[in-house]
Amino acid sequence: MNALADYAAAELPVGDEVASTHNATLHSIAEPGAWWSGADRLAIAGETRAAQGVRDSEDVLPPIAVEAIHRIRNDSGRITRRWFDNLIDMGLQPEAYVELASVVASVVIVDTFAQGVGLPPPPLPEAVAGAPSFERSDDVVDAGAYLPLAREGRAHILRSLGLVPSASQLFFRTFNPSYYMRPNQEFALTRAQVELVASRVSAVNECFY
Amino acid sequence: MTGTDAGDGNVAHGAYLAELAEAVARWRWDDVATLRAAGGERVSAAQLRDAILVAAGFNGITRVADAIGIRLDAHTEQASTALRAETGIDSFAPARKWAAV
Repeated sequence: MNALADYAAAELPVGDEVASTHNATLHSIAEPGAWWSGADRLAIAGETRAAQGVRDSEDVLPPIAVEAIHRIRNDSGRITRRWFDNLIDMGLQPEAYVELASVVASVVIVDTFAQGVGLPPPPLPEAVAGAPSFERSDDVVDAGAYLPLAREGRAHILRSLGLVPSASQLFFRTFNPSYYMRPNQEFALTRAQVELVASRVSAVNECFY
Repeated sequence: MTGTDAGDGNVAHGAYLAELAEAVARWRWDDVATLRAAGGERVSAAQLRDAILVAAGFNGITRVADAIGIRLDAHTEQASTALRAETGIDSFAPARKWAAV
């Protein structure tokens, strides 16, 4: 596996776990997913990056997917059920939306960290050929969200992508090094400092959860 | 924590970390670079890295929470009632967020 996320040149010391996790994320995105091909998933990643400014990515994705990417990337705090229902009414499948959200949010984590430590976003790999699996979990329940959540688990956020288990795995593997409640997680910051940073980011993004 | 008040919030280097977190979350890389350069006077390189790591992770997970429209689970709601009231975080969850067409 080629090292895409190379943090050796970062202005801060970055451990192997973060680099290997981000590498695994980028390579996973290039593989066929549940509802999108590897090329599609890379296009979602590219569009996530293009959403920072003027669009210059190729029109690989349907416009409805591009709309979803830009809203999730740039203005997720204003997402409403009406907006979501409109996307579905216009033809975006709920499972495809879940996977798209996972890819966008995973790319946001990798790119935010890379740029935060003074590096450009890491390059994306070549797409891996193959068809989507069309995986969909039936072990889900309505918990009042726009989509059903995984049946098992306590915190809704950890169940949020459960409709497409591979999408959930992609995102939470990427998020894991940042998760202060993970068993045996050790940060150089105190718990209070970590919670302050997490709360400030949630407030900036106007996310109540 | 939500930016309504200045100061450290009784957390060591809280004001600096909050400023850094906001700059990272808003992708203001010039500001992040400035804060990174100044950080050595306040926190260690490892602390600075971890602050950016946590900020990056929560920049992603807030998008998942909003994209899926999850509501507070009973445990989180119970555990955060006072905090949400104190910080005004409840205002980020207006009823129209879940209103059907």
